[in-house]
Amino acid sequence: MKAAKCTLAIACIVVLATPVCGLAQARGSASVPDITGSWERNGRGAAAGPPNTAPPPAPQPQLKPQYLKERQAAQQAARDADAKGKPLATNATLCLPEGMPGMMGATFPMEILQSRGQVTVIEEAFTQVRRIFLDQSQKALDDVEPGFYGYSVGRWEGDTLTVDTIGVKEDVRYQNVPHSAGMRVKERIHLVAPDILWDEITIDDPVTLEKPWTYTIAYKRMPDYKLLEYICEDNREFADANGLQQIRIGPAAR
Amino acid sequence: MTFDGHRWHWAGRFGLLILLLASPLLAHHSFAMFDHARTLNLKGVVTRFQWTNPHAYIELDVTDAKGTVTHFSVECTSINMMQRAGWRSNMIKAGDKVKAVVAPLTNGDPGGLLLELTLPNGQTLEPGVPAANTYKRTPEQQ
Repeated sequence: MKAAKCTLAIACIVVLATPVCGLAQARGSASVPDITGSWERNGRGAAAGPPNTAPPPAPQPQLKPQYLKERQAAQQAARDADAKGKPLATNATLCLPEGMPGMMGATFPMEILQSRGQVTVIEEAFTQVRRIFLDQSQKALDDVEPGFYGYSVGRWEGDTLTVDTIGVKEDVRYQNVPHSAGMRVKERIHLVAPDILWDEITIDDPVTLEKPWTYTIAYKRMPDYKLLEYICEDNREFADANGLQQIRIGPAAR
Repeated sequence: MTFDGHRWHWAGRFGLLILLLASPLLAHHSFAMFDHARTLNLKGVVTRFQWTNPHAYIELDVTDAKGTVTHFSVECTSINMMQRAGWRSNMIKAGDKVKAVVAPLTNGDPGGLLLELTLPNGQTLEPGVPAANTYKRTPEQQ
């Protein structure tokens, strides 16, 4: 009887405490930093912010020879087209989102939301949304349908949110770097100052890369900024039959 | 208005190359379709200020010395960038007489990229084009 009362008491404590603990885990506590809010890219060009918060220079990816050749050819083709004033159309021309890992470059401000069991990242440009499911096992690649953002799981390791992403479509590329369907993106997201956040991104792809490619993006907190909507309502740029970017003159007839 | 034909200077090409190599992707498309070597100084009447993404547009009727009206579509940046820079959707209305400094389309179509706009009250606005200072400005003809 005494044991039963004790069990009941423990059960009550667990039931009462769980929502509070869950919320603390979600929104920041002694163990989980509060990174909820709006952020903008920091350290682009002249670095601003406290000392030692500027990210290290991003190295070039070490691609295997055939993929290096492919990337260099694509970059040269883009430069040649630009020099002629006839740029090549890209995913961006067509108003397609950047996807992963490009969206973490924070072209426009970005919002991070910590909720129970999930961290959500919203990039203002193209209204891109990615969901990081906390404390879950990563799926097998065959169980993930390819997409722009892939499938992300994460966990807090001390003050660092570690994230693992797979399932990014092969034609969703960051900086024209070729990757296979098996690309894996690992991230270490952590505060380096109260208002400066780093995302250390490591891209691993044994098919295309000689070795994993690591670079860091830094963000500065925007305490009062509310993300704006972004809808590609009238995209006048389009790709012609030759893959060149063209523009329609005049408003849409509607 | 100043509309001195189709020229494409080597200095402009070189400047564009440097710009493309140096700047991260800040916009939804390449800016190479706009001439970096000269500008048009358009004085015209707004027919529509279109507050949309991925770009806002100022539709402008420009009348030359002979009385011929040419319609220009002037591309701005994203309304998100413009809003953060202080622009509002109700700042410009159809019928407003404005002056627009524009990097013209290299294909010769009557359109271009807005670098600077002067409102009827004299207020000057910039839409926040990346590396806007690398576009060579053509002096306004009086």
